[in-house]
Formats: sequence, structure tokens, C-alpha cells
Amino acid sequence: MDDLFDFISTNTYWTILLIIHGLLAVALLGALTHQAMSVLMPVREAAASAGFVTRFRAVQGAGYAAAVCVLWVVTFIFGAWIYTEYRIYVRVPIEEGGFWKTQGVFEMKEHLATIGLGLLPIYWYLWKNSRNTEYDSARKWVTMYLAGGCWFSFLVGHIVNNVRGFGS
Amino acid sequence: MSTTTNTAPAGSGSKSLASSTAFKTFAIVFGFTTATLYVLCDLMGWPLFSYHPATNRVELFYARPRQGEGPVMYWYGWTATAMLGAAALGMLATLLPQQVAGKIPLALVWIVPVLAIPLLFYSLMPFWTR
Repeated sequence: MDDLFDFISTNTYWTILLIIHGLLAVALLGALTHQAMSVLMPVREAAASAGFVTRFRAVQGAGYAAAVCVLWVVTFIFGAWIYTEYRIYVRVPIEEGGFWKTQGVFEMKEHLATIGLGLLPIYWYLWKNSRNTEYDSARKWVTMYLAGGCWFSFLVGHIVNNVRGFGS
Repeated sequence: MSTTTNTAPAGSGSKSLASSTAFKTFAIVFGFTTATLYVLCDLMGWPLFSYHPATNRVELFYARPRQGEGPVMYWYGWTATAMLGAAALGMLATLLPQQVAGKIPLALVWIVPVLAIPLLFYSLMPFWTR
């Protein structure tokens, strides 16, 4: 690790990790939003001349399941990694600045990320059996929960980053 | 020189897991007990370990901040407690007779995580009211 810091500063190192975490979150957000739309408003028939929204929700949701699981786990690992730095160099100034609600929503983000991690096995199972109509309701709600949690976490991460600004 | 031929079709591992009733039971129980245990860990203060990021010190179970060593983090410990506990309960559930395991409501996998939200929100009350 010391060799790495001969080439880049510590600040740059953590910024790179934060950007990777953010990019992974964007990919996860896209996959989960497509999937959530496909279960909320399924397209019954293929429409060649369909508009953007129809095409957006016309995806084969099952094809996203494994990717979502991998992306959630990898994004979680990167988040857990940079959390150590956040705790000292971001949270302390947030508290000193009195941004308590901002810190509160960040705590909620970490809670939702862990609960989401626990849902991945059943989420994967339900999507791998997507032809089984018995699972339709559970599949829809678990997917909605993960999509909602992902959107919340993404927006909170963006807000928290704005408190100190890029690279600070 | 001998050769071996893998006759298993590609992706058969995930297919067999997706058709396994034992995995289904594990996944259902793991899903709702992770949320349950995590909420309990948060409300009761049950981290498997505590981490001091400034000094890289790890202590078993709950530890208070040490003088001059910065803040202490419990989230990793709560996550570990919830995951390991839920995995153990999920494994135990696979040992249940099928007629019993089959009666575990599938809806718990989303109802329990939804119910966890107001409880976790409540646990953060000091942040909302300060």
C-alpha cells in the first residue's frame, strides 16, 4: 500500500474508491429500476413501436437477478471499505457542523444496505423461478424494497458527499 | 493420457439451487431473520465486534470509545451478528420436516424488512430531534 502512495495521494486514493463505489451504485440503480418497473407495470405484449417508457419496463427482469446480487455485494464491500475513512474525516465534521439530520439519513442508508444484503438469496431464488406465479407478489415486493433502498442510499450518498464537497 | 468429460450442462449449479426446497427454506428464513436480528442488534447494542478506525483496533462485542483513540464503529459488528445469526437460523430451518418448513409464510421476506424501517427510524431519534 505504501508503494501505491508514492504515486497518488491518500486523498486521491479514497476519492478513487468513492468514485468506484458511486459507479457501481449507478449500475445497480439502473438494473433495479428496470426490474422494478417490469414488475410494477409489466408489458403484456411486445410492441415494436412502443415508446421509451414502455421499452424501459419491457425488460426480462429475470436476466438482471444475478447481476443485481453481484453489484449489491460489491457496492456494499466498497461502501464498507470507505466507511472507515468517512467515520473519521467526514462524520466528525458533519457532527461539528451540526448537520444531524444529514448524519441520521446516512445511518438509515447503512441499515437498508445490510437488510438488503440479507434479502439477496431469496430475491435471487424468486427471480430464478420467475415463471412460478405463486411467487409473483413476494418477487414484486422484494424487488421494490431493494429498488427503494438503492434509490434512497444513492441519493443520501450524494447528499453526504456534498456536505464537504468533492476531494475534500 | 486420460481425459475427463464434464457432462453437466452449463449453469446446472444455479439451476439446481433454484429448484432446491432446502435453499428456498434457507433463503426465506435468512431474509427475514437478517432484518429482525439487525434491528435487535441496533436497538440492544449487540455488535459481534467493535472497530476503532483511527487505530485499527478490533474488540470483541461492545466496546466504548477509548481516550485519545477517536470514534468507535459498531455497524460492522451489527452486520456480522445479523448475518451469522441469520445464516445459522437458515441452516437450522433446512433441517425442519418439509411439511413444517413449507408453512413458513413467504410474505415475511418483505413484511419484516418493511416493519424494520420505522423501528430503525425511531432508533435514530437523537439525529432527528437535535
